[in-house]
Amino acid sequence: MERLLQYVFDGLSFGAIYALLALGLVVVFRGTGHLNFAQGEMAMFCTFVIWQINDWGVPLVFAVLIGMLFGFLLGAGTEATVIRSVAKKSPGGVFVVSIALFLGLNSLASMIWDRSEGYTMKSLFPNKPEDFVRILGAEWRYKYIGVLIVALALMGMLFLLFSKTKFGLAMRSVASNPESARLVGVPSGLVLAASWGIAASMGALSGALVGGINGQITPSLMFTVFIYASAAATLGGLDSPGGAVIAGLLIGVGEQLAAGFAPGWIGQDLKLSVALISIFVVLLVKPSGLFGSLKVERV
Amino acid sequence: MLNIKEGSVTHWAIRVVGALLLVAFIVYIPTQSETARIGQFASGFTLIIAAMSLNLVLGYTGQISIGHSAFFGIGGYTAAILIRDHGWSPGYTFYAAAVIAFVVGCLIALPVLRIRGAYLALVTLAVAVLFPTLLRWRKLEWLTSGAQGIDSVKYDELPVWPILGELKGRDGRAVFAYWLGLLVLVVTFLICRGLVKSRVGRSLVAIRDNETAAAVMGVNITRTKVIIFGISASLCALAGVLSTLSSGVVTPDGQYVTLLGSIIFLLIMVVGGAGTLSGPIIGGLVYVWLDNTTRGIGTDSKGIVGYVFGWTNQSPATLILGLALIVIMLFAPTGLVGLIRKISRRIVTVTPRAITTE
Repeated sequence: MERLLQYVFDGLSFGAIYALLALGLVVVFRGTGHLNFAQGEMAMFCTFVIWQINDWGVPLVFAVLIGMLFGFLLGAGTEATVIRSVAKKSPGGVFVVSIALFLGLNSLASMIWDRSEGYTMKSLFPNKPEDFVRILGAEWRYKYIGVLIVALALMGMLFLLFSKTKFGLAMRSVASNPESARLVGVPSGLVLAASWGIAASMGALSGALVGGINGQITPSLMFTVFIYASAAATLGGLDSPGGAVIAGLLIGVGEQLAAGFAPGWIGQDLKLSVALISIFVVLLVKPSGLFGSLKVERV
Repeated sequence: MLNIKEGSVTHWAIRVVGALLLVAFIVYIPTQSETARIGQFASGFTLIIAAMSLNLVLGYTGQISIGHSAFFGIGGYTAAILIRDHGWSPGYTFYAAAVIAFVVGCLIALPVLRIRGAYLALVTLAVAVLFPTLLRWRKLEWLTSGAQGIDSVKYDELPVWPILGELKGRDGRAVFAYWLGLLVLVVTFLICRGLVKSRVGRSLVAIRDNETAAAVMGVNITRTKVIIFGISASLCALAGVLSTLSSGVVTPDGQYVTLLGSIIFLLIMVVGGAGTLSGPIIGGLVYVWLDNTTRGIGTDSKGIVGYVFGWTNQSPATLILGLALIVIMLFAPTGLVGLIRKISRRIVTVTPRAITTE
């Protein structure tokens, strides 16, 4: 029971981070129908920017906020300059461009921050050995609680943005039919750029949270997290924000349980595989994920 | 602006001169170049084969796959295991690898049939990430030797090819890898050409352009998709075998066995021109050239290159690659082949022969 609870606590926090990054994928996919392969690397780059600003003496909280703003500009700028004009010429090309961004950002980060042992990243939350609460015997560290709260709060704000604001309405209209949205006066270009920006700034936050948990950042910081996030987005359905959150939490808890209760067979090395195989199985039954909507095709 | 009739003397003259130049180039490299250059071409051939195999699935059928590194790895590991544990002669491992990869490819294609677009990209991404972790899995160590990989082919165990003369040491190995790679490349090219220019190829393109319409016109979608995925996997496995035979080693971290491999194959195909026969060849040669030129850039570079990249002690090779890819997608979305065709059409046009019904 103690162990079970422990795995669930840890899993929820990791799951919240996956969900955050997965939401970024979903926001971009809903808006433009593209898969942003560079989502994780954008987040990693922003995390290094946050580290750099923090290193210059700005308190971490403000550094994270500046980093998220930087992420927004990075995402929106990329969409407005490169993605849009490539999408006009060849829709499949956007995926290739996002792979190019993946390679380029990773390389650029390792050129700028070139210490091979990585950089020490502080956590946003109290992280001394005694900083935890004990619930039914399981230790719940403050940094994990903090990560969960921040991630869930941001997701809540995002859902409010989608469902209650004029901007959210514009986003949904562009997602459902870009042509008609443009005809009724929705500034679709602005909306698309903003959705890439929002996705990238959520990535920046998730990067800062991962960095805080690991205590160390390197250019490969977000790679595994991105794989988990893409598994979460696929599992939940690429066009369903709620699905991404639920699937992210499920995967986070599931991998901890699998690794914890089957150390001989699965253990730490294979826990990623558990997540990947589970999406395989789910997609067999439901090709558009658990909560995704089936696309109706016309001939 | 030149106008040539198909089948005229000028047309044949251009073709013959072109073919002779190609042959001269192919023979010039292994006989006149230094070992490193020969090795670069040999590894380029391997990449071209992998990109060609991906082209069948992605370029012609429109099915995104970033899982081909797994098939490359299956080929590499099949060869290494058969040679090390079962004493096979290297030549026969090609057939075994092709068969195994075909079966695995079909098995993966079956569940993937229902999945499309971005979902397919993510599922194949999962395959690419899963494969190296399986290789490292403790329960499979008896087969794969875990993280350390398999060191199978020794320098002095290479088969003797009398036509190439005596091959010894590092130089001999490079020359051997070059000719073997070229041979497999030609075979792969002919297989792809045969597929693409036949009824099969037309049904692939029909599926890519509109699946429902293709089905209405009588294309068996399931069978075509599964078999083409299998063929593509087995061709990619040939590239893996080549890589094992020329380097002697396979590891789970090998550049082309991991996700990075899939990305590189995709990149080569796109840069050259997806859905064209010569695209992967041009893309592969350009990639190898770009990779080798930019790897050399470092803190000791002079001139403008040193000025731009002198501040870092990391190689900017991947950054330049990424930028080049973006530029190509912006200005030549059909790849280099599309660009070359567009330019050459301004200079020379070939009027096709009139079709007569006899």
